[in-house]
Amino acid sequence: MGDKLTIAGIQLSSRLFLGTGRYPNPYIQNQAIEASEAEVLTFAIRRVNLNEPGEDAILQHIEGKSFRYLPNTSGATTAEEAIRIARLAKASGLSDWIKVEISNNEKTLMPDPIETLKATEVLANEGFIVLPYTSDDPGLCYKLQEAGAAAVMPGGSPIGTGLGILNPYNIEMITEQLTVPVIVDAGLGNASDVTKAMELGAEGVLLNTAIAKARNPVKMAEAVKYAIYAGRLSYLAGRIPKKKYATASSPIL
Amino acid sequence: MNLLINGEPYHLEVTTLKEVVSSFGLQEGLVVTEIDGTIIDRSKWANTNVEEGMKIELVHFVGGG
Repeated sequence: MGDKLTIAGIQLSSRLFLGTGRYPNPYIQNQAIEASEAEVLTFAIRRVNLNEPGEDAILQHIEGKSFRYLPNTSGATTAEEAIRIARLAKASGLSDWIKVEISNNEKTLMPDPIETLKATEVLANEGFIVLPYTSDDPGLCYKLQEAGAAAVMPGGSPIGTGLGILNPYNIEMITEQLTVPVIVDAGLGNASDVTKAMELGAEGVLLNTAIAKARNPVKMAEAVKYAIYAGRLSYLAGRIPKKKYATASSPIL
Repeated sequence: MNLLINGEPYHLEVTTLKEVVSSFGLQEGLVVTEIDGTIIDRSKWANTNVEEGMKIELVHFVGGG
């Protein structure tokens, strides 16, 4: 498709952002990344384990083409903590993109709206390309755009749940109202969830668990790639209005 | 010299931040450092002297969504 996702003036080859956590092993992870054709990969920032320095240095294991790195601020419970993690991520020299992710609820991992908005504003003003993970509130998503977000990433449902899109009405309102790209992040469980997100007008999706924890991560990665194409085409084609009663599609004698 | 690195006490015979990083056998290109809450760019590691009791953070990218 000639129709490409552009974020902060950068045209991306894929509408899939792929997380790098929880795969069975680095070999399957690399195969899944390849099958998905994702260009943007997400990471977390953590202390080096000084007893086993090499064990989780993820970038040692990522092979193949050059990717665009989207580090996240997971683990942050306040704007201040997220800003610190974002600055550390930028100092790596690998990326000035940042996924703002701030939660203080360990059970739901639902994002804190106030802190997320604060951090987005500060980091956008510092020159970061900010992609905040947010709840699916249309008013909040609009404010994140106003605060300088390069894209806004509402969750379909809580992280890692696979519950899909719990409030399609909200996601559609968000994609209708925003001028920056909307990436549905979190909670998607399989290819049909991805298609649904795209049909609601999302410009992309961010997945991790749905692929990493599928029975066959590589096959799911491939399925998601096609689901994005199908959903995007379906969105562009436009669905028919829903009606209560039948309309014959064959001529009536 | 006694340093607090990633929250743990270490005794290292080092003078610069660059030596701290290399003493753990870390790949320089993948590590980001902070001393007492201030990020130190990789280009300044060799010229940054560490002092007794400093709090040093060594972080890197790990898998995540």
